[in-house]
Amino acid sequence: MKTVLLGLIIPILILIVWEYFAVKVDNTSLLPRVEAVFDRLAHPFTNLLDTGSFVHHILVSATRVLLGFLLAVIIGVPLGLLVGRILLFHRLFSPIIEILRPLCPIAWIPFAMAIFKTYTIADIFGLHYTTNIFGQIQLGMLFVIFYGGFFPIFLNTVHGVKSVKSLYIESALLLGANQRDIFKKIILPSSAPAILTGLRVGLGISWMVIIAAEMLPGSDAGIGYLIMFSYELAEMDILIASMILIGAVGAVLSYGVKVIADRTGRWQARER
Amino acid sequence: MGFVEVEAVKKIFYGEKKEVVALDNLYLTVNEGEFLCIVGPTGCGKTSLLRLIAGLEKPSAGKILIADKMVDGISRDVTLVFQQYSLFPWRNVLNNVAFGLEMKGMQKSERYDYARGLIELMGLTGFENAYPYELSGGMQQRIAIARALAYNSKVLLLDEPFGALDERTRHRLQEQLLEIWEREKKTIIFVTHNIDEAIFLATRVLIMRDRPGRIEKEVKVNLKKPRDRRSREFLQLHIKIREILETILTESGGNNV
Repeated sequence: MKTVLLGLIIPILILIVWEYFAVKVDNTSLLPRVEAVFDRLAHPFTNLLDTGSFVHHILVSATRVLLGFLLAVIIGVPLGLLVGRILLFHRLFSPIIEILRPLCPIAWIPFAMAIFKTYTIADIFGLHYTTNIFGQIQLGMLFVIFYGGFFPIFLNTVHGVKSVKSLYIESALLLGANQRDIFKKIILPSSAPAILTGLRVGLGISWMVIIAAEMLPGSDAGIGYLIMFSYELAEMDILIASMILIGAVGAVLSYGVKVIADRTGRWQARER
Repeated sequence: MGFVEVEAVKKIFYGEKKEVVALDNLYLTVNEGEFLCIVGPTGCGKTSLLRLIAGLEKPSAGKILIADKMVDGISRDVTLVFQQYSLFPWRNVLNNVAFGLEMKGMQKSERYDYARGLIELMGLTGFENAYPYELSGGMQQRIAIARALAYNSKVLLLDEPFGALDERTRHRLQEQLLEIWEREKKTIIFVTHNIDEAIFLATRVLIMRDRPGRIEKEVKVNLKKPRDRRSREFLQLHIKIREILETILTESGGNNV
Protein backbone atom coordinates (compact mmCIF):
# COMPACT_ATOMS: atom_id res chain seq x y z
CA MET A 1 0.00 0.00 0.00
CA LYS A 2 2.77 2.35 0.99
CA THR A 3 4.66 1.69 -2.27
CA VAL A 4 1.50 2.35 -4.28
CA LEU A 5 1.04 5.69 -2.55
CA LEU A 6 4.69 6.60 -3.10
CA GLY A 7 4.32 5.80 -6.80
CA LEU A 8 1.35 8.16 -7.04
CA ILE A 9 3.22 11.23 -5.80
CA ILE A 10 5.00 12.11 -9.06
CA PRO A 11 1.93 11.61 -11.33
CA ILE A 12 -0.13 13.84 -9.05
CA LEU A 13 2.61 16.50 -9.08
CA ILE A 14 2.63 16.38 -12.88
CA LEU A 15 -1.16 16.84 -12.95
CA ILE A 16 -0.89 19.83 -10.62
CA VAL A 17 1.84 21.51 -12.69
CA TRP A 18 -0.13 20.76 -15.88
CA GLU A 19 -3.36 22.22 -14.46
CA TYR A 20 -1.47 25.30 -13.20
CA PHE A 21 -0.04 26.06 -16.64
CA ALA A 22 -3.31 25.19 -18.41
CA VAL A 23 -5.16 27.78 -16.34
CA LYS A 24 -2.35 30.28 -16.85
CA VAL A 25 -2.08 29.77 -20.63
CA ASP A 26 -5.87 29.69 -21.01
CA ASN A 27 -5.81 28.34 -24.57
CA THR A 28 -7.35 24.89 -25.14
CA SER A 29 -5.72 24.45 -28.52
CA LEU A 30 -2.33 24.83 -26.85
CA LEU A 31 -2.74 23.18 -23.44
CA PRO A 32 -6.16 21.92 -22.36
CA ARG A 33 -7.19 21.59 -18.71
CA VAL A 34 -6.77 18.23 -16.97
CA GLU A 35 -10.58 17.86 -16.68
CA ALA A 36 -11.04 18.22 -20.44
CA VAL A 37 -8.63 15.38 -21.16
CA PHE A 38 -10.07 13.09 -18.52
CA ASP A 39 -13.54 13.86 -19.78
CA ARG A 40 -12.43 12.53 -23.18
CA LEU A 41 -11.01 9.40 -21.53
CA ALA A 42 -14.25 8.88 -19.63
CA HIS A 43 -16.12 8.43 -22.93
CA PRO A 44 -14.07 5.86 -24.82
CA PHE A 45 -16.90 4.88 -27.18
CA THR A 46 -17.68 8.41 -28.40
CA ASN A 47 -16.97 9.00 -32.08
CA LEU A 48 -14.08 11.47 -32.31
CA LEU A 49 -13.60 13.93 -35.20
CA ASP A 50 -15.70 11.59 -37.34
CA THR A 51 -12.93 8.95 -37.35
CA GLY A 52 -14.16 6.49 -34.73
CA SER A 53 -13.87 6.12 -30.97
CA PHE A 54 -10.80 5.60 -28.80
CA VAL A 55 -11.77 1.94 -28.49
CA HIS A 56 -11.93 1.61 -32.27
CA HIS A 57 -8.51 3.19 -32.79
CA ILE A 58 -6.90 1.21 -29.99
CA LEU A 59 -8.35 -2.03 -31.38
CA VAL A 60 -7.01 -1.26 -34.85
CA SER A 61 -3.54 -0.48 -33.47
CA ALA A 62 -3.55 -3.48 -31.14
CA THR A 63 -4.58 -5.87 -33.92
CA ARG A 64 -1.77 -4.59 -36.13
CA VAL A 65 0.72 -4.99 -33.31
CA LEU A 66 -0.40 -8.44 -32.27
CA LEU A 67 -0.30 -9.77 -35.85
CA GLY A 68 3.13 -8.28 -36.55
CA PHE A 69 4.37 -9.42 -33.17
CA LEU A 70 3.06 -12.94 -33.74
CA LEU A 71 5.01 -13.01 -37.00
CA ALA A 72 8.14 -11.93 -35.12
CA VAL A 73 7.62 -14.70 -32.55
CA ILE A 74 6.96 -17.38 -35.16
CA ILE A 75 10.18 -16.51 -36.98
CA GLY A 76 12.34 -15.10 -34.17
CA VAL A 77 12.08 -17.92 -31.63
CA PRO A 78 12.79 -20.91 -33.93
CA LEU A 79 15.56 -19.02 -35.72
CA GLY A 80 17.06 -18.02 -32.38
CA LEU A 81 16.98 -21.65 -31.22
CA LEU A 82 18.78 -22.76 -34.40
CA VAL A 83 21.37 -19.99 -34.31
CA GLY A 84 22.01 -20.54 -30.60
CA ARG A 85 22.41 -24.29 -30.94
CA ILE A 86 23.88 -24.97 -34.37
CA LEU A 87 27.19 -23.42 -35.36
CA LEU A 88 26.36 -23.49 -39.09
CA PHE A 89 23.31 -21.29 -38.51
CA HIS A 90 25.29 -19.03 -36.23
CA ARG A 91 27.89 -18.44 -38.94
CA LEU A 92 25.21 -18.05 -41.58
CA PHE A 93 23.13 -15.44 -39.78
CA SER A 94 25.49 -13.52 -37.47
CA PRO A 95 26.88 -11.01 -40.00
CA ILE A 96 23.52 -10.00 -41.47
CA ILE A 97 21.97 -9.74 -38.02
CA GLU A 98 24.76 -7.46 -36.84
CA ILE A 99 24.22 -5.18 -39.85
CA LEU A 100 20.43 -5.04 -39.60
CA ARG A 101 20.19 -4.78 -35.82
CA PRO A 102 21.37 -1.17 -35.38
CA LEU A 103 18.97 -0.07 -38.12
CA CYS A 104 16.05 1.50 -36.26
CA PRO A 105 12.68 0.02 -37.31
CA ILE A 106 11.33 3.54 -37.86
CA ALA A 107 13.94 4.03 -40.59
CA TRP A 108 12.18 1.20 -42.44
CA ILE A 109 8.77 2.86 -42.42
CA PRO A 110 9.17 4.95 -45.62
CA PHE A 111 10.78 2.00 -47.38
CA ALA A 112 8.01 -0.36 -46.29
CA MET A 113 5.38 2.11 -47.46
CA ALA A 114 7.02 2.48 -50.84
CA ILE A 115 7.23 -1.26 -51.31
CA PHE A 116 3.90 -2.36 -49.87
CA LYS A 117 1.96 0.80 -50.78
CA THR A 118 -1.40 0.65 -49.00
CA TYR A 119 -1.96 -3.04 -49.50
CA THR A 120 -3.79 -4.62 -46.60
CA ILE A 121 -4.42 -8.15 -45.43
CA ALA A 122 -7.93 -7.81 -46.88
CA ASP A 123 -6.38 -7.22 -50.33
CA ILE A 124 -4.30 -10.35 -50.10
CA PHE A 125 -7.06 -12.63 -48.93
CA GLY A 126 -9.69 -11.00 -51.12
CA LEU A 127 -11.86 -9.90 -48.23
CA HIS A 128 -12.86 -6.68 -49.91
CA TYR A 129 -16.57 -7.26 -50.06
CA THR A 130 -16.80 -7.01 -46.30
CA THR A 131 -15.67 -4.10 -44.26
CA ASN A 132 -13.74 -5.57 -41.41
CA ILE A 133 -10.64 -4.93 -39.41
CA PHE A 134 -8.40 -6.69 -41.96
CA GLY A 135 -8.89 -3.74 -44.29
CA GLN A 136 -6.97 -1.74 -41.70
CA ILE A 137 -3.96 -4.06 -41.42
CA GLN A 138 -1.47 -2.60 -43.90
CA LEU A 139 1.36 -4.91 -44.94
CA GLY A 140 3.94 -2.16 -44.57
CA MET A 141 2.94 -1.66 -40.95
CA LEU A 142 3.06 -5.39 -40.28
CA PHE A 143 6.54 -5.48 -41.72
CA VAL A 144 7.77 -2.64 -39.52
CA ILE A 145 6.23 -4.14 -36.38
CA PHE A 146 7.71 -7.49 -37.25
CA TYR A 147 11.10 -5.85 -37.69
CA GLY A 148 10.86 -4.03 -34.35
CA GLY A 149 9.76 -7.12 -32.44
CA PHE A 150 12.07 -9.57 -34.15
CA PHE A 151 15.46 -8.51 -32.80
CA PRO A 152 14.76 -8.55 -29.06
CA ILE A 153 13.00 -11.90 -29.46
CA PHE A 154 15.67 -13.41 -31.64
CA LEU A 155 18.65 -12.09 -29.67
CA ASN A 156 17.26 -13.09 -26.28
CA THR A 157 16.46 -16.56 -27.59
CA VAL A 158 20.02 -16.97 -28.89
CA HIS A 159 21.36 -15.72 -25.57
CA GLY A 160 19.07 -18.07 -23.63
CA VAL A 161 20.12 -21.11 -25.65
CA LYS A 162 23.80 -20.25 -25.41
CA SER A 163 23.60 -19.81 -21.63
CA VAL A 164 22.26 -23.31 -20.98
CA LYS A 165 24.81 -24.83 -18.61
CA SER A 166 26.70 -27.76 -20.11
CA LEU A 167 26.37 -29.33 -16.65
CA TYR A 168 22.62 -29.78 -17.27
CA ILE A 169 23.15 -31.15 -20.77
CA GLU A 170 25.76 -33.62 -19.56
CA SER A 171 23.60 -34.65 -16.60
CA ALA A 172 20.70 -35.33 -18.95
CA LEU A 173 22.90 -37.31 -21.37
CA LEU A 174 24.16 -39.41 -18.46
CA LEU A 175 20.55 -40.17 -17.55
CA GLY A 176 19.74 -41.53 -20.99
CA ALA A 177 18.56 -38.42 -22.87
CA ASN A 178 18.98 -38.34 -26.66
CA GLN A 179 19.45 -35.13 -28.69
CA ARG A 180 15.71 -34.68 -29.06
CA ASP A 181 15.20 -35.00 -25.30
CA ILE A 182 18.04 -32.54 -24.73
CA PHE A 183 16.28 -30.01 -26.92
CA LYS A 184 12.80 -30.51 -25.50
CA LYS A 185 13.58 -31.19 -21.85
CA ILE A 186 16.73 -29.13 -21.26
CA ILE A 187 17.34 -26.40 -23.87
CA LEU A 188 13.73 -25.20 -24.10
CA PRO A 189 12.85 -25.00 -20.39
CA SER A 190 16.27 -23.66 -19.50
CA SER A 191 16.07 -20.80 -22.01
CA ALA A 192 12.35 -20.11 -21.51
CA PRO A 193 12.91 -17.18 -19.11
CA ALA A 194 15.28 -15.46 -21.56
CA ILE A 195 12.86 -16.05 -24.44
CA LEU A 196 10.03 -14.51 -22.43
CA THR A 197 12.18 -11.48 -21.65
CA GLY A 198 12.66 -11.14 -25.40
CA LEU A 199 8.91 -11.34 -25.95
CA ARG A 200 8.31 -8.62 -23.40
CA VAL A 201 10.87 -6.23 -24.85
CA GLY A 202 9.79 -7.11 -28.40
CA LEU A 203 6.13 -6.41 -27.70
CA GLY A 204 7.07 -3.06 -26.15
CA ILE A 205 9.07 -2.04 -29.21
CA SER A 206 6.33 -3.24 -31.57
CA TRP A 207 3.86 -1.03 -29.75
CA MET A 208 6.15 2.00 -30.04
CA VAL A 209 6.82 1.36 -33.70
CA ILE A 210 3.16 1.09 -34.66
CA ILE A 211 2.43 4.54 -33.27
CA ALA A 212 5.21 5.99 -35.40
CA ALA A 213 4.04 4.07 -38.47
CA GLU A 214 0.47 5.25 -38.08
CA MET A 215 1.56 8.88 -37.96
CA LEU A 216 2.79 8.73 -41.53
CA PRO A 217 0.46 9.38 -44.49
CA GLY A 218 -1.58 6.49 -45.86
CA SER A 219 -3.27 5.52 -42.65
CA ASP A 220 -6.85 6.33 -41.68
CA ALA A 221 -7.19 4.57 -38.35
CA GLY A 222 -5.19 3.65 -35.29
CA ILE A 223 -4.23 5.55 -32.19
CA GLY A 224 -1.12 7.02 -33.85
CA TYR A 225 -3.26 8.29 -36.71
CA LEU A 226 -5.67 9.82 -34.20
CA ILE A 227 -2.78 11.70 -32.59
CA MET A 228 -1.68 13.23 -35.91
CA PHE A 229 -5.24 14.01 -36.97
CA SER A 230 -6.13 15.71 -33.70
CA TYR A 231 -2.86 17.66 -33.97
CA GLU A 232 -3.86 18.95 -37.40
CA LEU A 233 -7.25 20.04 -36.05
CA ALA A 234 -5.63 21.48 -32.91
CA GLU A 235 -7.74 19.16 -30.70
CA MET A 236 -5.18 19.00 -27.94
CA ASP A 237 -7.45 17.25 -25.44
CA ILE A 238 -7.87 14.27 -27.81
CA LEU A 239 -4.15 14.30 -28.55
CA ILE A 240 -3.14 14.14 -24.88
CA ALA A 241 -5.83 11.59 -24.06
CA SER A 242 -4.46 9.40 -26.89
CA MET A 243 -0.94 9.68 -25.48
CA ILE A 244 -2.16 8.58 -22.05
CA LEU A 245 -3.95 5.63 -23.65
CA ILE A 246 -0.83 4.60 -25.55
CA GLY A 247 1.13 4.53 -22.32
CA ALA A 248 -1.60 2.63 -20.50
CA VAL A 249 -2.00 -0.03 -23.20
CA GLY A 250 1.77 -0.46 -23.41
CA ALA A 251 1.95 -0.96 -19.66
CA VAL A 252 -0.87 -3.53 -19.74
CA LEU A 253 0.82 -5.48 -22.57
CA SER A 254 4.13 -5.48 -20.75
CA TYR A 255 2.50 -6.53 -17.49
CA GLY A 256 0.67 -9.39 -19.22
CA VAL A 257 3.88 -10.90 -20.55
CA LYS A 258 5.60 -10.30 -17.22
CA VAL A 259 2.98 -12.33 -15.35
CA ILE A 260 3.56 -15.27 -17.69
CA ALA A 261 7.32 -14.81 -17.54
CA ASP A 262 7.39 -14.71 -13.74
CA ARG A 263 5.48 -17.97 -13.52
CA THR A 264 7.74 -19.71 -16.02
CA GLY A 265 10.95 -18.26 -14.67
CA ARG A 266 10.19 -18.71 -10.99
CA TRP A 267 13.14 -21.07 -10.63
CA GLN A 268 15.56 -18.69 -12.29
CA ALA A 269 14.82 -15.68 -10.11
CA ARG A 270 15.84 -17.63 -7.03
CA GLU A 271 18.74 -19.54 -8.46
CA ARG A 272 22.13 -18.42 -7.31
CA MET B 1 39.14 -59.40 -15.35
CA GLY B 2 37.44 -56.67 -13.34
CA PHE B 3 34.04 -55.15 -13.99
CA VAL B 4 35.57 -51.82 -14.89
CA GLU B 5 38.94 -51.98 -16.65
CA VAL B 6 41.03 -48.93 -17.45
CA GLU B 7 43.99 -49.96 -19.57
CA ALA B 8 47.01 -47.76 -20.36
CA VAL B 9 44.79 -44.70 -20.64
CA LYS B 10 46.31 -41.41 -21.65
CA LYS B 11 44.44 -38.12 -21.82
CA ILE B 12 45.87 -35.00 -23.37
CA PHE B 13 44.10 -31.65 -23.26
CA TYR B 14 45.06 -29.26 -26.02
CA GLY B 15 45.28 -25.70 -24.77
CA GLU B 16 45.92 -22.65 -26.89
CA LYS B 17 49.66 -22.72 -26.54
CA LYS B 18 50.61 -26.04 -25.02
CA GLU B 19 49.19 -29.45 -24.49
CA VAL B 20 48.65 -30.80 -21.00
CA VAL B 21 48.98 -34.49 -20.26
CA ALA B 22 46.25 -34.97 -17.67
CA LEU B 23 46.50 -38.74 -17.39
CA ASP B 24 49.27 -41.03 -18.55
CA ASN B 25 49.57 -44.80 -18.69
CA LEU B 26 46.80 -45.22 -16.15
CA TYR B 27 45.66 -48.70 -15.17
CA LEU B 28 42.68 -49.38 -12.96
CA THR B 29 40.59 -52.42 -12.17
CA VAL B 30 37.32 -52.28 -10.25
CA ASN B 31 35.49 -55.43 -9.26
CA GLU B 32 31.75 -55.85 -9.48
CA GLY B 33 30.04 -54.56 -6.34
CA GLU B 34 33.16 -52.82 -5.10
CA PHE B 35 33.18 -49.39 -3.43
CA LEU B 36 36.35 -47.79 -4.69
CA CYS B 37 37.57 -44.43 -3.48
CA ILE B 38 40.15 -42.35 -5.31
CA VAL B 39 42.08 -39.62 -3.50
CA GLY B 40 44.81 -37.38 -4.84
CA PRO B 41 46.10 -33.84 -4.96
CA THR B 42 44.08 -31.12 -6.65
CA GLY B 43 44.52 -31.23 -10.40
CA CYS B 44 45.72 -34.83 -10.53
CA GLY B 45 43.06 -35.74 -13.05
CA LYS B 46 40.54 -37.44 -10.76
CA THR B 47 37.64 -35.72 -12.44
CA SER B 48 39.09 -36.37 -15.90
CA LEU B 49 39.29 -40.06 -15.07
CA LEU B 50 35.62 -40.16 -14.06
CA ARG B 51 34.59 -38.26 -17.20
CA LEU B 52 36.48 -40.81 -19.30
CA ILE B 53 34.80 -43.76 -17.56
CA ALA B 54 31.42 -42.04 -17.95
CA GLY B 55 32.06 -41.67 -21.68
CA LEU B 56 31.87 -37.86 -21.59
CA GLU B 57 35.41 -37.71 -22.98
CA LYS B 58 37.47 -40.02 -25.15
CA PRO B 59 40.93 -41.23 -24.10
CA SER B 60 43.84 -40.03 -26.25
CA ALA B 61 45.30 -43.53 -25.96
CA GLY B 62 44.41 -46.79 -24.22
CA LYS B 63 40.94 -48.15 -23.60
CA ILE B 64 38.23 -48.49 -20.99
CA LEU B 65 36.00 -51.55 -20.61
CA ILE B 66 32.83 -51.95 -18.60
CA ALA B 67 31.43 -55.47 -18.35
CA ASP B 68 33.79 -56.44 -21.19
CA LYS B 69 32.39 -53.76 -23.48
CA MET B 70 34.50 -50.89 -24.79
CA VAL B 71 33.37 -47.50 -23.52
CA ASP B 72 32.61 -45.43 -26.60
CA GLY B 73 30.52 -42.46 -25.56
CA ILE B 74 27.80 -42.29 -22.96
CA SER B 75 26.06 -45.57 -22.22
CA ARG B 76 23.31 -47.07 -20.07
CA ASP B 77 25.91 -48.79 -17.90
CA VAL B 78 27.31 -45.72 -16.16
CA THR B 79 26.05 -42.54 -14.63
CA LEU B 80 27.81 -39.76 -12.77
CA VAL B 81 26.93 -37.49 -9.87
CA PHE B 82 28.72 -34.20 -10.33
CA GLN B 83 30.53 -32.19 -7.70
CA GLN B 84 28.48 -29.11 -8.66
CA TYR B 85 24.77 -28.92 -7.93
CA SER B 86 23.35 -30.34 -11.11
CA LEU B 87 19.62 -30.68 -10.44
CA PHE B 88 17.48 -29.18 -13.19
CA PRO B 89 16.27 -25.95 -11.56
CA TRP B 90 13.05 -25.82 -13.61
CA ARG B 91 11.93 -29.25 -12.37
CA ASN B 92 10.69 -30.08 -8.91
CA VAL B 93 12.30 -32.81 -6.82
CA LEU B 94 9.95 -35.55 -8.04
CA ASN B 95 10.51 -34.71 -11.70
CA ASN B 96 14.25 -34.45 -11.20
CA VAL B 97 14.47 -37.92 -9.65
CA ALA B 98 12.15 -39.35 -12.31
CA PHE B 99 14.12 -37.83 -15.22
CA GLY B 100 16.10 -40.95 -16.12
CA LEU B 101 12.95 -43.08 -15.96
CA GLU B 102 11.15 -40.58 -18.17
CA MET B 103 13.97 -40.96 -20.71
CA LYS B 104 13.48 -44.72 -20.59
CA GLY B 105 9.83 -44.15 -21.50
CA MET B 106 8.36 -45.38 -18.21
CA GLN B 107 4.72 -44.47 -17.55
CA LYS B 108 4.15 -41.39 -15.41
CA SER B 109 2.46 -43.08 -12.45
CA GLU B 110 5.01 -45.87 -12.43
CA ARG B 111 8.03 -43.59 -12.51
CA TYR B 112 6.55 -41.31 -9.84
CA ASP B 113 6.02 -44.31 -7.55
CA TYR B 114 9.60 -45.38 -8.11
CA ALA B 115 10.94 -41.86 -7.57
CA ARG B 116 8.92 -41.44 -4.37
CA GLY B 117 10.54 -44.60 -3.02
CA LEU B 118 14.00 -43.18 -3.64
CA ILE B 119 13.08 -39.81 -2.15
CA GLU B 120 11.93 -41.67 0.95
CA LEU B 121 15.17 -43.65 0.98
CA MET B 122 17.02 -40.33 1.07
CA GLY B 123 14.85 -39.15 3.94
CA LEU B 124 13.30 -36.33 1.94
CA THR B 125 9.66 -37.37 1.87
CA GLY B 126 7.51 -34.23 1.81
CA PHE B 127 9.86 -32.38 -0.54
CA GLU B 128 8.54 -33.97 -3.76
CA ASN B 129 7.08 -30.69 -5.01
CA ALA B 130 9.92 -28.45 -3.84
CA TYR B 131 12.23 -26.82 -6.39
CA PRO B 132 16.02 -27.13 -6.11
CA TYR B 133 16.42 -23.49 -5.07
CA GLU B 134 14.29 -24.25 -2.02
CA LEU B 135 16.67 -26.98 -0.84
CA SER B 136 19.95 -26.82 1.07
CA GLY B 137 23.16 -28.03 -0.59
CA GLY B 138 23.04 -31.34 1.27
CA MET B 139 19.45 -31.96 0.22
CA GLN B 140 20.28 -31.14 -3.40
CA GLN B 141 23.12 -33.65 -3.45
CA ARG B 142 20.91 -36.32 -1.88
CA ILE B 143 18.34 -35.74 -4.62
CA ALA B 144 21.10 -35.83 -7.24
CA ILE B 145 22.15 -39.24 -5.87
CA ALA B 146 18.51 -40.39 -5.85
CA ARG B 147 18.22 -39.26 -9.48
CA ALA B 148 21.32 -41.28 -10.40
CA LEU B 149 20.06 -44.32 -8.45
CA ALA B 150 16.69 -44.16 -10.22
CA TYR B 151 18.51 -44.56 -13.52
CA ASN B 152 19.82 -47.84 -12.11
CA SER B 153 23.07 -48.07 -14.05
CA LYS B 154 25.53 -50.85 -13.23
CA VAL B 155 28.30 -48.41 -12.32
CA LEU B 156 27.78 -45.27 -10.27
CA LEU B 157 30.45 -42.58 -10.38
CA LEU B 158 30.53 -39.84 -7.76
CA ASP B 159 32.80 -36.82 -8.10
CA GLU B 160 33.30 -35.25 -4.66
CA PRO B 161 29.54 -35.12 -4.16
CA PHE B 162 29.86 -34.02 -0.52
CA GLY B 163 32.75 -31.61 -1.06
CA ALA B 164 30.77 -28.44 -0.40
CA LEU B 165 28.94 -29.70 2.68
CA ASP B 166 29.60 -29.21 6.36
CA GLU B 167 31.09 -32.11 8.30
CA ARG B 168 27.95 -33.29 10.09
CA THR B 169 25.89 -33.39 6.92
CA ARG B 170 28.73 -35.10 5.12
CA HIS B 171 28.97 -37.85 7.74
CA ARG B 172 25.23 -38.48 7.61
CA LEU B 173 25.23 -38.70 3.82
CA GLN B 174 28.23 -41.06 3.89
CA GLU B 175 26.28 -43.42 6.14
CA GLN B 176 23.26 -43.24 3.86
CA LEU B 177 25.35 -43.92 0.79
CA LEU B 178 26.90 -46.99 2.45
CA GLU B 179 23.44 -48.34 3.31
CA ILE B 180 22.31 -47.93 -0.28
CA TRP B 181 25.47 -49.49 -1.64
CA GLU B 182 25.02 -52.54 0.60
CA ARG B 183 21.39 -52.89 -0.38
CA GLU B 184 21.68 -52.28 -4.12
CA LYS B 185 25.04 -54.03 -4.67
CA LYS B 186 26.24 -51.28 -6.98
CA THR B 187 29.74 -50.81 -8.28
CA ILE B 188 30.78 -47.38 -7.05
CA ILE B 189 33.77 -45.23 -7.90
CA PHE B 190 33.93 -42.29 -5.52
CA VAL B 191 36.39 -39.45 -5.95
CA THR B 192 37.25 -37.28 -2.95
CA HIS B 193 40.11 -35.25 -1.55
CA ASN B 194 39.01 -36.11 1.97
CA ILE B 195 41.09 -39.02 3.33
CA ASP B 196 38.72 -39.61 6.22
CA GLU B 197 35.78 -39.91 3.83
CA ALA B 198 37.66 -42.38 1.65
CA ILE B 199 38.55 -44.68 4.55
CA PHE B 200 35.03 -44.53 5.96
CA LEU B 201 33.43 -45.56 2.65
CA ALA B 202 35.81 -47.64 0.60
CA THR B 203 36.67 -51.29 0.26
CA ARG B 204 39.82 -50.02 -1.41
CA VAL B 205 41.44 -46.59 -1.65
CA LEU B 206 43.53 -45.63 -4.66
CA ILE B 207 45.94 -42.74 -4.35
CA MET B 208 46.62 -40.77 -7.51
CA ARG B 209 49.62 -38.63 -8.29
CA ASP B 210 49.69 -35.61 -10.53
CA ARG B 211 51.77 -34.38 -13.50
CA PRO B 212 50.84 -36.58 -15.18
CA GLY B 213 47.96 -38.23 -13.35
CA ARG B 214 48.21 -41.93 -12.65
CA ILE B 215 47.61 -44.40 -9.84
CA GLU B 216 50.45 -44.27 -7.31
CA LYS B 217 49.40 -46.67 -4.55
CA GLU B 218 46.58 -48.86 -3.40
CA VAL B 219 45.41 -49.24 0.20
CA LYS B 220 42.93 -51.95 1.13
CA VAL B 221 40.45 -51.09 3.87
CA ASN B 222 39.51 -54.20 5.81
CA LEU B 223 37.85 -52.46 8.74
CA LYS B 224 34.54 -53.74 10.08
CA LYS B 225 31.41 -51.68 9.59
CA PRO B 226 30.24 -49.39 11.03
CA ARG B 227 33.70 -47.89 10.94
CA ASP B 228 34.83 -45.87 13.92
CA ARG B 229 36.72 -42.79 12.81
CA ARG B 230 38.50 -42.65 16.19
CA SER B 231 39.68 -46.27 16.23
CA ARG B 232 43.39 -46.95 16.13
CA GLU B 233 43.16 -48.89 12.84
CA PHE B 234 41.23 -46.08 11.18
CA LEU B 235 43.78 -43.49 12.28
CA GLN B 236 46.69 -45.67 11.21
CA LEU B 237 45.22 -45.94 7.72
CA HIS B 238 44.65 -42.19 7.72
CA ILE B 239 48.32 -41.53 8.57
CA LYS B 240 49.49 -44.05 6.00
CA ILE B 241 47.50 -42.42 3.18
CA ARG B 242 48.50 -38.93 4.30
CA GLU B 243 52.17 -39.89 4.19
CA ILE B 244 51.79 -41.24 0.65
CA LEU B 245 50.04 -38.01 -0.42
CA GLU B 246 52.69 -35.85 1.19
CA THR B 247 55.45 -37.74 -0.60
CA ILE B 248 53.64 -37.16 -3.89
CA LEU B 249 53.33 -33.47 -3.14
CA THR B 250 57.00 -33.04 -2.23
CA GLU B 251 58.05 -34.84 -5.39
CA SER B 252 55.83 -32.81 -7.67
CA GLY B 253 56.46 -29.53 -5.86
CA GLY B 254 52.74 -28.95 -5.41
CA ASN B 255 51.39 -27.26 -2.35
CA ASN B 256 47.82 -28.31 -1.79
CA VAL B 257 45.93 -31.50 -1.13
